[in-house]
Amino acid sequence: MGLFSNEKKVDYDKIVDKMVPDARKEMDESQYDTELGLNMARDARKVISGKLKIEDFHKVYSSSLTKEFGNYYASADGPDIRKGDGPKWAMVIDLKKCVGCDTCTVSCKAENRTPPGISYNVVMESLEGEFPNIKAVNLPRPCMQCDKPACAQVCPTRATYKMENGIVAIDNDRCIGCRYCIVACPYGARSFDFGDSYEQEMQGANDVTSPEYGVERGNREKGKTPIGTVRKCSFCFHRLQRGEEPACVETCIGDARFFGDISDPNSVVSKLAASPRAFRLKEELGTHPNVIYLR
Amino acid sequence: MANLAVDLKEKSTSKTKINLQVSKAFKIWISALTIAFLIGGYFIVERFITGLAATNLSSITPWGAWIAFYIFFVGLSAGSFLLSTLIYVFGMEEYERVGKAALFTAIVCMIVALTFVLMDLGRPERMLNAIIYWNVTSPLAWEVHFYLVYIGLLAVELYIAMREDLVRAAKTNTMKGFVAKLITFKNATINAATKKRDHMWMKILGTIGIPLAILGVHGGTGTIFAVVKARPAWHTALFPIIFVVSAMVSGTALLLAMYIIKKKVQKQPIDQGMVVSLAKLMVGFLIIDLGLQFYEYLIGWYGLETEHLDTLATMMASEKAWSFWIVQMFLGAVIPITIVFWKKTSQNVNALLAAAVLIVIGIIGVRFNIVLPPLVVPVFHELPWGNYAPTIKEWMVSVGVVAMGLLIYSFGELLLPIEETSDEVSHNGK
Repeated sequence: MGLFSNEKKVDYDKIVDKMVPDARKEMDESQYDTELGLNMARDARKVISGKLKIEDFHKVYSSSLTKEFGNYYASADGPDIRKGDGPKWAMVIDLKKCVGCDTCTVSCKAENRTPPGISYNVVMESLEGEFPNIKAVNLPRPCMQCDKPACAQVCPTRATYKMENGIVAIDNDRCIGCRYCIVACPYGARSFDFGDSYEQEMQGANDVTSPEYGVERGNREKGKTPIGTVRKCSFCFHRLQRGEEPACVETCIGDARFFGDISDPNSVVSKLAASPRAFRLKEELGTHPNVIYLR
Repeated sequence: MANLAVDLKEKSTSKTKINLQVSKAFKIWISALTIAFLIGGYFIVERFITGLAATNLSSITPWGAWIAFYIFFVGLSAGSFLLSTLIYVFGMEEYERVGKAALFTAIVCMIVALTFVLMDLGRPERMLNAIIYWNVTSPLAWEVHFYLVYIGLLAVELYIAMREDLVRAAKTNTMKGFVAKLITFKNATINAATKKRDHMWMKILGTIGIPLAILGVHGGTGTIFAVVKARPAWHTALFPIIFVVSAMVSGTALLLAMYIIKKKVQKQPIDQGMVVSLAKLMVGFLIIDLGLQFYEYLIGWYGLETEHLDTLATMMASEKAWSFWIVQMFLGAVIPITIVFWKKTSQNVNALLAAAVLIVIGIIGVRFNIVLPPLVVPVFHELPWGNYAPTIKEWMVSVGVVAMGLLIYSFGELLLPIEETSDEVSHNGK
């Protein structure tokens, strides 16, 4: 196409340069050291492109930053490098808002294309009290994505493990199908894939599988992974990768589910988790779930 | 396979003039086992093709008959091994006659147990992952390692226990002699120095084996269940101990039964004094086991925890409670204890044989009652309850695996000097 076009090539970089304000001029106007700012910006770019280590960056600028900002410069005692600086996902479910419609269960099955007998999310319904003073309690139960997961503790092959983003993942290509994790999970959140299929009820049910954990596995076939291994809710990790909320959160008709970064103190989930209404399931077991309920 | 013994005989007689005496009873026994193994083998192959859909297992009750049989055979193995240590380490020579049989039984039972685990895996082809990607916090991964070390130790110990017999047999022109020549060095001899050396090694290996069997193999298998805090009925510190004690019960009972049956079939004299004393030991272990179980149930019941009560109710008061009351308690405890303590039957070899067989059956009930009731009760009351009974396919696979184990044992006994002849008892393993 370019061969036959007479248009002059546009240098987009130059356009951008024109749009961006002059760094030196901006810094001169501020009350802080111009050279320091410019040097830091230059080296920060090096850190991003991998030419400079973040530790070295901190070493170089630590003293001048302390001089410049004094007490405002927080990390005086070395760089604060947390492992997994990204978000730590958590879910809050407001039981007062849940109407027990099972939309989450249905949308979860549709999203993750789970076979018969497997439901990553269920709504446990119970009646409390004596008639006429009776109340229905609907308790949706996805995987709790525990901080101290009993399942990962007992897995003989480390096929199930805790990711930095807080999600408990299963490596279905490593899982040997011993089902110890199903036995050990206090929440019944895990299921074994016996290889059943909806093919009888629905044509083409086996044609597509969900790209769980971002892994495209194509069609569902006899003897093909994940058949013969253990499966569970992954907070719709493949949707998170695209910047979308888990299917159950998105489809909840009563807006009872909230999803976000629990390590960010300003996130909605962090604020709701601090509510006096907040509780977790089977807290006494020390699993520390990342699904928080509001009673 | 049915003709294997005969084939071997023909082949050996034609080529090396080794005479192999196979009794008629042995032929019938091998043929029956082969038929059972072939029928079971069909279902084993089918299970590998269809996967675990061949079972009645579900995500509510993920473990079933095969896991129960797996812990049953681990128990038999650890029990018979510990009995062998009574002989080789603690010098209880009165049980000498079953010493090598105990070691060989321990090996075969471990092979059977691991085969059951293999049957139970959703992805059996990935079994080595438990070694390659060893998770150090997983009791199951530790167990896989312990089992392999344990089988190795048992094999070495059995070889040393048999060494003198092998050297002696290598000079003869029998089938056993032929095998013995294959697995001994040409210059192997028996003298006072080798006797002393063999005896020392038996003691060392037996001593290493005791903690390995108690803490590693069987206590460890109990730990697989005891660490599961999601299931209150398993989650007690007493659980691994009950495992070890019931292993001793079943191991002693199995060896006693095997000894009597073998001697009866071979029409050889039975050492009645040893049988009576072994039966007393067996019932002694059983009574300790019952005592521990009593506390286990009492404390679970007293805690009034819903899930624990539901589990006890499932075990003792559901439609499947017969496996607790009839198999585990009546057949597996009340009758054998009565037989061993009642004056009219306590010296009768046939009655004691019945007691031993009943205890072995009773322990199968114990194993099912360990695995299943806590997995029938769901982790939340609102979730569906499990409803598990093994399918005919699961039973047939189990028959096939057990037949395989018995075949290995029978051929092992045919080809190796495992049986103790009366004159050897006096000077062996002191």
